[in-house]
Amino acid sequence: MDPRRAGGRGVTTDRIITRNWGNPDVFHVDGYVANGGYAGLKKALAMAPEDVIELVKGSGLRGRGGAGFPTGVKWSFVPQDTGKPTYVVCNFDESEPGTFNNRELVDREPHQLLEGLAIAAYAVRCHNAYIYVRGEFLHQGTIVRRAVEEAYDRGFLGKGICGSDFDLDVVPHRGAGAYICGEETGLLNSLEGFRGQPRQRPPFPAVEGLYASPTVINNVETLCNVPHILENGADWFRGFGTAKSPGTKVFSVSGKVERPGNYEVPMGTPFRVLLEEHAGGVLGGKALKAWTPGGSSTPMLTAEHLDVGLDFESLQAAGSLLGTGAAIVLDETDCVVEAARRLLAFYAHESCGKCTPCREGTWWAVRVLSRIEEGLGRPEDLPIMNDLGRNILFRAFCPLADGAVSPITSTLTYFREEYEAHVREGRCPFTGSGPGRRIEEVAS
Amino acid sequence: MTQEAVTLTIDGKEVTVPKGTLIIRAAEQLGIEIPRFCDHPLLEPAGACRQCYVEVEGQAKLFTSCTATVAPGMAVRTQNSSEVVHEAQVANLEFLLLNHPLDCPICDRGGECPLQDQALAFGPGESRYVEAKRTFEKPIPLSPLVGLDRERCVLCARCTRFCDQISGDRFIELFARGAGERVSIAAGEDFLSPFSGNTIQICPVGALTATPYRFVARPFDLSSVDTVCPHCSAGCNVKLDVRRGKVVRHLARDNLDVNDAWLCDKGRFAFRFPDDERRVTIPLLRDRGLEPTSFGEVMDAIGDWSRGKRVAFLTGGRLADEDAYALSKVARTAFVTNDLDHRREFAGGEAERLAAVAVTDRALSVTYRDVERAKAIVVAGLDAEQEVPILHLRLRKAARRGARIFVLNPRRTRLWDVAEHVLCRPGQEAHVLEQIVDGEGGDSGVGRAADALREAGEAGVVLAGMRLAEHPLAADVALRAARRTGARFSLVPRRAGDKGALAAGVHPRLLPGGRRVDDPGERAEVEAVWGELKNVVPGRNAKQILEAAANREIDVLFLVGVDPLRDFPDARLARHALENVPYKVVQSLELGSLEPFADAFLPAAAFPERDAHFTTWEGRAQRIRPVRGPAGLSRPDWEIFAGLARAMGGSLGFESLEDLQEESVGLLSPRAFSGGASAWVGAGAPQWIDELTLFTYPLLVDEGRLSEGASELKAALEEKPFLEIHPVDADKRSIADGGEVRVRTQAGQAVVPVRVTPDIAEGSVFVPFNQPGLAANTLLSGRFTAGATVEAVAAAEAAADPERLTVGGGP
Repeated sequence: MDPRRAGGRGVTTDRIITRNWGNPDVFHVDGYVANGGYAGLKKALAMAPEDVIELVKGSGLRGRGGAGFPTGVKWSFVPQDTGKPTYVVCNFDESEPGTFNNRELVDREPHQLLEGLAIAAYAVRCHNAYIYVRGEFLHQGTIVRRAVEEAYDRGFLGKGICGSDFDLDVVPHRGAGAYICGEETGLLNSLEGFRGQPRQRPPFPAVEGLYASPTVINNVETLCNVPHILENGADWFRGFGTAKSPGTKVFSVSGKVERPGNYEVPMGTPFRVLLEEHAGGVLGGKALKAWTPGGSSTPMLTAEHLDVGLDFESLQAAGSLLGTGAAIVLDETDCVVEAARRLLAFYAHESCGKCTPCREGTWWAVRVLSRIEEGLGRPEDLPIMNDLGRNILFRAFCPLADGAVSPITSTLTYFREEYEAHVREGRCPFTGSGPGRRIEEVAS
Repeated sequence: MTQEAVTLTIDGKEVTVPKGTLIIRAAEQLGIEIPRFCDHPLLEPAGACRQCYVEVEGQAKLFTSCTATVAPGMAVRTQNSSEVVHEAQVANLEFLLLNHPLDCPICDRGGECPLQDQALAFGPGESRYVEAKRTFEKPIPLSPLVGLDRERCVLCARCTRFCDQISGDRFIELFARGAGERVSIAAGEDFLSPFSGNTIQICPVGALTATPYRFVARPFDLSSVDTVCPHCSAGCNVKLDVRRGKVVRHLARDNLDVNDAWLCDKGRFAFRFPDDERRVTIPLLRDRGLEPTSFGEVMDAIGDWSRGKRVAFLTGGRLADEDAYALSKVARTAFVTNDLDHRREFAGGEAERLAAVAVTDRALSVTYRDVERAKAIVVAGLDAEQEVPILHLRLRKAARRGARIFVLNPRRTRLWDVAEHVLCRPGQEAHVLEQIVDGEGGDSGVGRAADALREAGEAGVVLAGMRLAEHPLAADVALRAARRTGARFSLVPRRAGDKGALAAGVHPRLLPGGRRVDDPGERAEVEAVWGELKNVVPGRNAKQILEAAANREIDVLFLVGVDPLRDFPDARLARHALENVPYKVVQSLELGSLEPFADAFLPAAAFPERDAHFTTWEGRAQRIRPVRGPAGLSRPDWEIFAGLARAMGGSLGFESLEDLQEESVGLLSPRAFSGGASAWVGAGAPQWIDELTLFTYPLLVDEGRLSEGASELKAALEEKPFLEIHPVDADKRSIADGGEVRVRTQAGQAVVPVRVTPDIAEGSVFVPFNQPGLAANTLLSGRFTAGATVEAVAAAEAAADPERLTVGGGP
């Protein structure tokens, strides 16, 4: 067996939520329970809901979906005297390019998610929870649905959970395939049956979310951590990671590496460790050129950032973001202009169309980048790319557009020479595509 | 809710506004205009176009001022004082223009386009975008009225938000995403909202255009006037655009007390009637045929016919307030008759007298604002969307603000999604309303309506439509229901001139100001101005006038802006009347079907050609202004009446509009109203004699005179004749939806397509009053309801039936 997959519940390793990945039995409810599963939920049900919130607050757990908001604090924002129902929604619309850790968490141990979801629901006194599954995740949608059925059969969901007087219904809901529905208010619109477009905030979902009622929205990985915090305590959890970013993070490593995959490491682990010890280093022993720490929406870093710790604070200090914890690795033979073009094409395709800078800005960026990559760039295109970055960032309705800016500004910051080479040579220096002459010459 | 005040500075200037105010609105208070496209003060914020950036001190990111609310001490900087904001707005405009076709020279919006204006004011002079622009198929007809050019669209979502939030007619929606996002409509659907034109007017670019205005004019070609729509009692404020003497467009003007910023499609698109080719603009006198002549000769002839003879006047709803006053006076002084009537329904009773008084005293009436702020509203006998459309939008607005609305009508209305309907068979309204008066009804729609009205108290409103005027004293019971619960009450007539005519006393029993002609005290107040009235006996109402005419008891019949053959709910009686009156004087824009009957024709000026007032259903008099002179020899109606007085050897006592207004203001100023006791003593449940009750009222778009020439409007919204019947009644008669039925009444019969629908009260059948191919008044005997039988007609029989869609003889 792969040593990375070894271990089981209770075995002390550096891993928390992937520690059972070596044990195929935990996929079903019986194996999950036999391995100690749902103990955290039972523990929670014996506590007052407020104490559960305090415990999670004390653990310092921060949201793993990108923004890193403290989970317990988010739960405590839910007003309890509105006369409206409270909802918990699990955001399983994992669509960020390069990110696939939620998928494997569900693939291997779906009940860990359900247990975390049930604890969250209990903490905020919610009786109706939803799991919003990414539209393209056909298989995972089925897994979630079956796991929910199993949990109902075993009394972990439904009326009087685990013999308590707490009722909880969980409804899995599959999206229709839109990146914007990973944005929490877009997700809520989609869940209500409307167009997947973000809503104005405030009001924030904690006050007016699903069906204008108080709503907690948590990422899959966030919820998966919750049962372990309940079981082992806040101090235990704080034993992992850094002071401000406690716990572990499952990193999805892809691109030019020897062993792509998901690796759970303590927060603050240097990227060098993740790349070299876990992912086996750059493919074929080539040199590292660029990498994203948190998926395509986080600014790219370079080889000079190899020793940056993978946690919220260190990455921000280095000019990037932890994001969803997805390292896309480019080696020395990769063209960053082409990489930026592909990523911008993704954002242009996924822009919901609601606001001008995102809709038109990404459309324009794709066209300019395509021209440059095809050897038809002009010297005046670089200032345009600069302006695009400046005029989109923080000007759009929702953060989707800010993510789209990351590939533009980071590649212009670190690899401006590569853009200039494309324009100067009238072709892509890596693929050789293009007329090989300046566009003015082609025209004349 | 108390209105907490917030003080902030914008560009260094201090302003205090209520808490919750958007920054963009606060800036407007200071006269600072922040550029915007998606923002509209009557729509909920979208934050979509991103043009209205402002900088807020202490905040790293720019704010969109159309979504951000003010906070105490906030320091806002707009493009006027912040370079960053200015640059962001320029950059955003550059984004908006990337894919815009820049076809301003051929765009209907060119010259009055916010995008064009802003691009000119601060946009980049040259585009840095060198790639191909996004293209769409265009123009796409969303309906015969509305064309969509997606390439020009900036996706501000004003149109879709209007349909969602204001009209509730969600025909159009944004489809697809990213740069491919577009406004669209379900395949095979038409944009069938009677408010569709508003989306054109609020479109900040030329993406939505009006078919009747397509390529018709440039803004600098137009002369315009601010006036009031003549189509119904809503009184929408409009701007009339004329090009080379022809009316080419109506636009809504903003007036938050009346129409907000909206206009119905009839008011917007039925503007060609003043220029209709059938219009007659010279006086005519019958010799061998109707011969052109002068006003002097016609007046002399009429004087000869009328002196010492029995004269009666019927009017339509077109007359302005001043015309109605002049008519009321000329009929009673010069022609010594009380046989004059503007109505087709016969309200009578206290509610009507109150309405006549309330026109002059709005404390007694209901306003749009009252509706908007009401907590409970009962709408009885009124299909607001079809009859007074802007009131319909106000009711929807009230619903959005939390009002509970109850509609008491034989037919479900388009308030169905925001109101509870109590469907009742025509004739039953009084009984149902009485349950509200008595607080009966329990756990039913009526009971809930009564409870809601009682809870609302002064914030309750009862609106009585013209359907209530059909039933003896039904409007009075509605009034009593309002009095009992503390609600405000208003009678809501349909036509633009109705309230003015009622106030002026174009009525057999009522003089100006609702004074009773047979009440010596009230009459004396009028006589103090008019001189002694020689005829103090209440006159005949419209039906009685026609009956008298048919019995040769009338010598001269004036038909002022009315065609009884088409308008009166008894076509046969109207015909007999016309055949048996020696002299018929038609005063109108055209002759129409009266041509064979008219002995004299007096050409009237149309509403864009004159100065006057129209009074809304609320009792609000609003000025109409001329945009051109009277066509041909036509004259304003009041001038014609003044001439008639002279022809009769007298004088109306005023030679100018100002003199007329000065005289009338005394009689039409507020006065005390003491409601007399109503004769109503309790209805009990009505007993039905007839098998079914047929009822009818005009739909918004029909064959009415003022819709002449509005071909696009009719293509979009005019329905073919139909008959609605409840499924229970249909089943009993083996009638299938979509087939044809024969409807018989005492007056006649017709074969019409049938719609089986639960949206009508059991025991009732509905046909629209005046759709092309079926004049419903051929089925009526003086009222808008009639006992009827309905039977299925086999398809083959229907096709062979020569009487199909026509009138037969008796039953």
